[in-house]
Amino acid sequence: MSGRQETNRPSSAPLYTSAAKIYPREMKGRFASLSKLATIILLGLFYVVPWLIWDDRQAFLFDLPARKFYLLGLTLWPQDFLYLALLLIIAAISLFFFTALGGRLFCGFACPQTVWTEAFIWIEQFTEGTRSQRMKLDKAPWSWNKLRRKGSKQLLWITLALWTGFTFVGYFVPIRELSSEIIALNVGGWTLFWGLFYAFATYGNAGYMREQVCKYMCPYARFQSAMFDRDTLIISYDEQRGEPRGSRKRGADPKGAGLGDCIDCTLCVQVCPTGIDIRDGLQYECIACAACIDACDSVMDKMNYPRGLVRYTTQHALEGKPSKLLRPRTVIYALLLTVLFSAMMFSMITRTPLILDVIRDRNTLFRELPQGVIENSYTLKVINQSNDPRDFEVSVSGIDGIHIDGISNPVSVDGGGVLSLPVRVRAHRDNAYGIMDINFTATSTDDDTIVVVEDSRFLAPTP
Amino acid sequence: MVDEDYRGAKQWSRNKQSVAVVIWISFLAAAVGTMVFFAVFDPAALATAIDEGLEINREAGYAAGFFFFWVLTAACSAVTAWLVRTAPKRDSKRR
Repeated sequence: MSGRQETNRPSSAPLYTSAAKIYPREMKGRFASLSKLATIILLGLFYVVPWLIWDDRQAFLFDLPARKFYLLGLTLWPQDFLYLALLLIIAAISLFFFTALGGRLFCGFACPQTVWTEAFIWIEQFTEGTRSQRMKLDKAPWSWNKLRRKGSKQLLWITLALWTGFTFVGYFVPIRELSSEIIALNVGGWTLFWGLFYAFATYGNAGYMREQVCKYMCPYARFQSAMFDRDTLIISYDEQRGEPRGSRKRGADPKGAGLGDCIDCTLCVQVCPTGIDIRDGLQYECIACAACIDACDSVMDKMNYPRGLVRYTTQHALEGKPSKLLRPRTVIYALLLTVLFSAMMFSMITRTPLILDVIRDRNTLFRELPQGVIENSYTLKVINQSNDPRDFEVSVSGIDGIHIDGISNPVSVDGGGVLSLPVRVRAHRDNAYGIMDINFTATSTDDDTIVVVEDSRFLAPTP
Repeated sequence: MVDEDYRGAKQWSRNKQSVAVVIWISFLAAAVGTMVFFAVFDPAALATAIDEGLEINREAGYAAGFFFFWVLTAACSAVTAWLVRTAPKRDSKRR
């Protein structure tokens, strides 16, 4: 990929320049409105969701200090890590699926990098004006006006970044407590650190680095083309219709002058946040923001040409062939997604809200008691994952006459609590010799579908 | 034609690219590592296992773990990037 980039670069462009500032040109149009809508919805969700309440508790809270995840009515434990892993796999396959169908829709409309950059650009335009006004302002000497505009931009940027950092942390520690701690100026050191860390990352990424992140740092941008085929939706310039490009008087007949529909106004290049020329074909820098479509459509409208010289299309459509939605790639991704998603749902619905951990006492193999009784020691951890207190009957099996000594059944465990239970297990040496497999069972007394069996080993002297 | 200062302004130097990529990719790897590691191990329990008297709160444990992973992955990324960039050229056009 990088090889192609080298050859595409105009030979006059220097290889080593410090990154000068980018002045994206603002553009109105269908896709600009769509991206504005996506930004408002996604950012709105991000900032509002931690404040939602479910059953007197934060609805979405990944409580790291307590090592519990609350998702609406569901409480997940570290032992439920499988779900998180599954969820990440589902997210990855969904990304592949939507890439195969819609190209880089994610990049252009849903990626956090895009979304926050958009928000920061709004602030920039609000305080410093349009592209040409911003360029003029930067060249101008310092004045009260410049200070006021630059200062208010920084103030708004920093406020938004800090609010973002605060919200981010609010997904991991209860946000209502956090806000009262902030008001009382009594925030824990690490909480403060991560809030500022995320705020700084937001400020730097959305304020300054912007699409450089997509060009130089994003792995997805480099490998997404592997998921493309000739039926994938891409932003493309209709070369057959546009070429040969050239300027002309308004109202002149392009065919008579031997010209295509492209008037070479370069507006599509000027609006491009990654600085590519879409007329050179599909390039990996293109994040599918569709700004060039809006730009070109506006020009086509002015020229009274039909819209869509630059448009969302597929390679097949450009070649005049039909585009297929159903193809092996999309069908396989869809099947995989369905299977994984149903497996996860099934396993979540049938999940037993009880975990039994058995830890053998490592210090002694076994003890020999009078009358040929062999004793092994274990620590049982009974974890009640439901939100209500429950009683459990704990038992052991696997050897004739084996039993637990030293506990009084049933044991009660608080809702969301862990009970650590040291137990002695005894069996007669006539039945136990060498290494034997045994099973511990915990059963809820009020609901015998809540039952967990855990394997362990019982050691006895070899006869 | 195309605004020259608009297009040329957008290249990052190779050093800047390398630093940014190393920091970012190692950050992602460290985040995944931290997540998996602390899903299995409780930092509070780990601290007690290292030293009976050592009591840290979990936030500090998570942070320490994360930065441990990040330093490790960043060092690995940085050395890899450096070796790839400074590898001897195969042809005779050596600089």
